[in-house]
Amino acid sequence: MILEEVAFVALGGVAIATALLALLVRELVHTILWVAVFFVDLAAIYFLLEAPFLGVLQLGVYAGAVTILLLFGVMVTRKRIFSREAATGIGPVPLALALLVIVLVGTAASVVPTAPQPIRAYDVTDLSSTLFVTDGGWLLLLGLTMMGALAGAIYLVREGRE
Amino acid sequence: MSAIPPVDFLALSAILLGIGLFGILTRRNFILLLISIEIAMNAAILNFVVFAAYSGTGGGIGGQAAAVVLVGLAATEVAVGLAIVLALNRVRGSINVAEATTLRQ
Repeated sequence: MILEEVAFVALGGVAIATALLALLVRELVHTILWVAVFFVDLAAIYFLLEAPFLGVLQLGVYAGAVTILLLFGVMVTRKRIFSREAATGIGPVPLALALLVIVLVGTAASVVPTAPQPIRAYDVTDLSSTLFVTDGGWLLLLGLTMMGALAGAIYLVREGRE
Repeated sequence: MSAIPPVDFLALSAILLGIGLFGILTRRNFILLLISIEIAMNAAILNFVVFAAYSGTGGGIGGQAAAVVLVGLAATEVAVGLAIVLALNRVRGSINVAEATTLRQ
């Protein structure tokens, strides 16, 4: 039991630290490496929450595809990929606004019972029947959205458009 | 019986949302903006998974189904965002969002 607490504190600390580091380091490539660690860390949190399918999905889609896409975006938009970003100041207003959101959401979350509860594990079979039968419309909508996004992305990057 | 109360996960999710929001408000590079949005979106997905895991005896699997759909949506959003980055880089020669003023009067 104590092992789970240690795992949660470690994984949560790594998540917060890597998210902050990703936004604060000056080299864009280092940012993407930190954000990859962040995605892998969140996948571990999903495994801790007994959601192995989502953990694997997070590893494949986020740590794999999204990271490579972001790296590709950095590679094609600059001559020297390790060049540093210009320093952007940490304004007091964004910081205050972010802290306000954290406090507000944290306060809203505090109505949830604080007593330890059993974590519920689901069978992947149940998940797939929910995803494809009960809530199948949402998956269809996702497919339609992806199709529109694909057409839009091709339209945006096509040749001869100035 | 798990030793971790659900409110701890929700607090972690709130902090990640705050970090993402802070990045969206302060960063000027389009790719960093996309990364900030991804961090905030991951905080939202974590919330769905937490509520599915702590749903007691009710039907909480819809939370995991919603998380699957959201992961797909986030990937779509990155793809479109990078298409915008490439178009912006070609038209303006820079991916600084402060310089993207083509639609301004």
